[in-house]
Amino acid sequence: MSYQVCIDIGGTFTDCLVSDPDGGISIFKSPTTPGEFEKGFINVLHVAAEGLGRSPGQFFSEIEMIVHGSTVSTNALVERKTVKVGLLLNEGHRDILVLREGPRKGAFQWKIDYPEPYVPIHLTHTVPGRIDARGRELTPLDETAVRAAAAKLAESKVEAVAVGLLWSVVNPVHELRVREILAEEMPGVPVTLSHEINPMPREYKRVIAAAIDASISPIVRRYIEDLKTALDAQGYGGELLLANCVGGMMPLPEMLRKPIYSVMSGPTLAPMAALALSDAPDIIVGDMGGTTFDVSALRDHQIIVTPDSMIHDDNLGIPKVDVRSVGAGGGSIASVDAGGLLHVGPHSAGARPGPACYGHGGTEPTVTDANVILGIVDPDYFLGGKMQLDRAAAERAVGKIATALGVSLQEAAYSIYTTSNHNMVAAIEEITVREGINPRDSYFVCGGGATAIHIAEMVDILGLTRYMIPRFMAGLSAFGGLISDIRREEAAVALTSDAAFDFDAVNTTLDALKAQGSAFLEDAGVPEEARGFEIAFMGRYEYQSFEIEVPLTIDGPLTPEHLPEMVEAFHRMHERIYSIRTDGDTVEFTSWKLRAIGHRPGQDMWSRFSLPAQQGETRAKGHRGVYSEQTRQIEQLPVYDLSDLGAGAALPGPCLVEAPTFTAYLKAGHDGVLDAQGNLCVTVDATRAGAIAVTTAQIPA
Amino acid sequence: MNMPLTSAPEGDRRIDPFMISVLKSRFEAIVREMTLVVMRASRSAVIKNARDFSCAILTYDHELVTVEDALPIHVMSMDMATRPLTELFDDISEGDIFVNNCPYTGGTHHADLIMAMPVFVEGVPLFWVVALSHHADTGAPAPSTYLPFAKNIFEEGMHFPCVRIAENYEEKADILRIGSMRNRVPDLWLGDVRAQIGACRTGERRIRELCGRYGRETVLDFIKDWFDYGARAAKAAIQKLPAGDYTYSLAHDPVPGVADDGIPINVTVRVDPEEGEIVVDVRDNIDCVPGGLNLSENTCTGSCRIGVFNNLDESVPHNEGAKSRVRVEMREGSAIGKPKYPVGTSVATTNVNDRLMIAGNAVFSEMGAPYGHAESAFHLPAGVGVISGDDPFKQGKSYINQVFVGYGGGGANSGHDGWLTYCGPANAGLIQLDSVEVDESMYPILIERRGVKTDSQGFGEYEGAPGMDGVFYPLDHTMTVAYAADGKVNPPKGVLGGQPGGASDTVRIEPDGARVTLAEFSEENFAAGQKCEFTSCGGGGYGAPEARDPARVAASVNRGWLSLSLAREVYKVALREAGEPGLYEVDADGTAALRA
Repeated sequence: MSYQVCIDIGGTFTDCLVSDPDGGISIFKSPTTPGEFEKGFINVLHVAAEGLGRSPGQFFSEIEMIVHGSTVSTNALVERKTVKVGLLLNEGHRDILVLREGPRKGAFQWKIDYPEPYVPIHLTHTVPGRIDARGRELTPLDETAVRAAAAKLAESKVEAVAVGLLWSVVNPVHELRVREILAEEMPGVPVTLSHEINPMPREYKRVIAAAIDASISPIVRRYIEDLKTALDAQGYGGELLLANCVGGMMPLPEMLRKPIYSVMSGPTLAPMAALALSDAPDIIVGDMGGTTFDVSALRDHQIIVTPDSMIHDDNLGIPKVDVRSVGAGGGSIASVDAGGLLHVGPHSAGARPGPACYGHGGTEPTVTDANVILGIVDPDYFLGGKMQLDRAAAERAVGKIATALGVSLQEAAYSIYTTSNHNMVAAIEEITVREGINPRDSYFVCGGGATAIHIAEMVDILGLTRYMIPRFMAGLSAFGGLISDIRREEAAVALTSDAAFDFDAVNTTLDALKAQGSAFLEDAGVPEEARGFEIAFMGRYEYQSFEIEVPLTIDGPLTPEHLPEMVEAFHRMHERIYSIRTDGDTVEFTSWKLRAIGHRPGQDMWSRFSLPAQQGETRAKGHRGVYSEQTRQIEQLPVYDLSDLGAGAALPGPCLVEAPTFTAYLKAGHDGVLDAQGNLCVTVDATRAGAIAVTTAQIPA
Repeated sequence: MNMPLTSAPEGDRRIDPFMISVLKSRFEAIVREMTLVVMRASRSAVIKNARDFSCAILTYDHELVTVEDALPIHVMSMDMATRPLTELFDDISEGDIFVNNCPYTGGTHHADLIMAMPVFVEGVPLFWVVALSHHADTGAPAPSTYLPFAKNIFEEGMHFPCVRIAENYEEKADILRIGSMRNRVPDLWLGDVRAQIGACRTGERRIRELCGRYGRETVLDFIKDWFDYGARAAKAAIQKLPAGDYTYSLAHDPVPGVADDGIPINVTVRVDPEEGEIVVDVRDNIDCVPGGLNLSENTCTGSCRIGVFNNLDESVPHNEGAKSRVRVEMREGSAIGKPKYPVGTSVATTNVNDRLMIAGNAVFSEMGAPYGHAESAFHLPAGVGVISGDDPFKQGKSYINQVFVGYGGGGANSGHDGWLTYCGPANAGLIQLDSVEVDESMYPILIERRGVKTDSQGFGEYEGAPGMDGVFYPLDHTMTVAYAADGKVNPPKGVLGGQPGGASDTVRIEPDGARVTLAEFSEENFAAGQKCEFTSCGGGGYGAPEARDPARVAASVNRGWLSLSLAREVYKVALREAGEPGLYEVDADGTAALRA
């Protein structure tokens, strides 16, 4: 046997997916071990060994590759436990991280303080020296001032330094010189230069990326070392790859060079999974867990990369696969306000105490409590029966909402259920509308443990007609890791416009990017024939202040004949995203991007699996009463056990489908069929579905 | 969990409680989608960066249904811009689109083009979808949309006093030609107008789909329940306030030739907790002035309401029901009221209007702590000027746009310091500063410095936010900067013992370093080699400085916002070095001695 393994560390559980050469995939879970994530990592591998009937030693020797979505850098940022960082900026521009980018949230929210800068001012030093937008040196770098700043930072005992000088993306000479001086003055202290970590002409995003990168650099390094030590101790001799936030894997040395790329990398693997599971051009991926609903989308069967991810009050700076979180999960708390309006979330009962029905002392009504009352979740078969839920506690909690609204217990539970669904629908519309995707024409792929409980109604609201509940829904991100490429994204600035396009400068830039990409794939051991490159540019109309990304399909050096094609591609993308185009306006090109992609042997092993065909009729394992909002009655629905079913098994809605890691609720008009890989594929017959679906999210024609 | 003290008696409810949540979120989603269309498709910086636009949905009889992500100042009186449409036209049809930027037909000021489209469902007009955008240019005699010296509308830009620009879903090219011909940046203008059209058409389509799905009657029942809910929530919030009449006064700085002694502003609020109602009375104010500083009826109404809602819980919905609990009383012919035709109002959304909103925020402090806000900065220091010139790097191509290099700070409230990137009370921080690099790549300018101005905050138990200052200059050409930097004579005041914020200023730095102080309201040229230095106002403080938590004082010093000497002199807080360069901590004994 030679296994491939993906380990995805989540907030509560560490997921492990193991694929074997026959395409079989098994899913294992073990509690996450905060503080010492490598422990949970090794633990879950032991759980997997046992599950596969192997001794740990045997199992570790049979794994050829482990891919890993780590959460160590995300946690450090979320919990504000990063290392002490110093920052060097231009004289006159000390407040880049104070002023940040982005408006105050909530027009009438006055009870807030202005956030503190990511790097405190006493650790932020400025030095004379200035380059302009055209790369000209207006003022030479004051090296004495750099040395003086270094002395102060050394005295403050910073563990890393970030450097962010204006226009270093056009002319990096000052930043490079600063690094040389810092190496002399503060030997051994890691330095991140803004033009290397995030080459874009927008200083806040470049500086914040450099600061974040520097602040997690020692943490990521320590974690990788601990992980290697732990794996060595188990006798592991295979390969180890780490997930990055641009939708792929990186070898360790590369991640150590740019640790910021490990931030929020786990959830970005979910859209990668969807990419493999469906051929549909536009796909929505929704992952509902205990506290959040994470949503992402694929446009034209490509992942969407956003420049706008946030962590606390700051932008992450670097581009990242667009995954948005809203506070809508199984633990989201319902309340009724002074005017009598019901709200669900964003506050959550979290993992502890969790929903009232968990019996850990929670008394607030949550979405999971509502689902128990509605009959969708079986209190006796939660997590495959591993955890008993307390229905009476759920009733007490939801009863408070029923009293406040003056409705029955079931009606209150349904109100919570549907309000939560509408909150998630709003998040889906936000990402699809923003990215020029019509949700009605999209395919929906479910991820996470709770999504399949809510998917049917969300789909009816959105007006979708097809969706998938994958066999490994509960570990969708880990599945994404198992099948994803080696990938890196590089960018460089070359400002020009179609009025006077600078072919030499752009071709030089693209050649340099390709050389970097090839070197990366070479280092990662990717053979020539398994390499691929994707090129794109960031463009805007003259006087627009935000750019959009436009893929470039031209191979080889750019020539004047290519220009009309590039300009047209920009107009088309602008129209797709913003619904208008302005032919004849000047198009400006700001930066250029290259994605280097390496295909891994074995990443498609999963597709060799086929589920034996269904023999005979599909039989329900029983029936359960589920509240119907249409009849306002409890209706008896058949309950199917996924493990009893073969490929081609038909599951007409309304019905419930149970598996050890999830429950699916298919409403009337939602008809499921198990495909050859064991995924539950559902089509919606709108004429039979409860509501005639209308979406409010579509780009105007 | 909040108990529903004032929830509707069951019999008064028209639809299921969850349907209220559902349709509320549906309407919000529609406005959000309209907002995205404007935001993404527009071209001028003032729309995209400063978010100087708003979308809203009103019922066909002009009741406010929903605003989401809008500038509050725009939507609290949006009904005034649509109301004249049903009075002036008797043939409003499906597919019509109207524009209105005329203060004498319910507009805000000439630069805000308010676009409205009726929404017909099954042949019956049920709603208005509205998109308002502040345009970069309106073809006024001077290259700016803010003209403090424009005495009457003949010295302003193009007015569209309720004009139909589309019929049967077709643009009327002749009308649009009038607008684009009288405009310095016709492509920008037309692009921004089309973004608004896109938003209106999106909103129209979505509402029709919504009515198709849920049924017209359910949607109309929702509107009634939704307004009832808004009225109940606002009433409950007002009932928490102390009863009484409260008056607050302040003054806009003198503007030579327009208001030589400044423009005093008096606001009285009458709070009736029993009825859950507030009246905002601005009748006691001066007559119109001969310049562009007069308010329009629209901005005066909106600004009077905004102060009230800034002082109520943020969870109160901002719909017709809530609005109905706040009445505004004003006088025709007053600078702070309904202007008398054809007096100028080109600066009706900033300046005096800023002062009115600020007075509305601050008047609640007359109730004592914890009510009200201290005064805040105003909109148009030179750091937020309209810059124009001929770009030497683009073969002399003309440029004109408002930049957002640096602006003023917010006032403090009880419990919280002011918001730093505030700008002015209309967008109140819902705005984004320009990126230095983006500005420098877009315009032939260099931003030498910009940042927080130390010690410019209004000191208090809670501090106002400091102002910003900075220097920018043209590269190899002459640049014009138009600005109206109120706050030099009367900077933002503190309340309840809080101190005033720093004053605004504008200086020309000559090539030899000489400093020339410029007029407060002006349009100045800067030749190559000359530099423009701006200083914006800091926000006012709330409560006495000696009451400030010493830890907050130390934090202000460590952030570089407060000097050590003022920490000692003003706050009576002793600080000592905390073991690394530039870091200080509270010396508790020393502070106790100073404060004794």
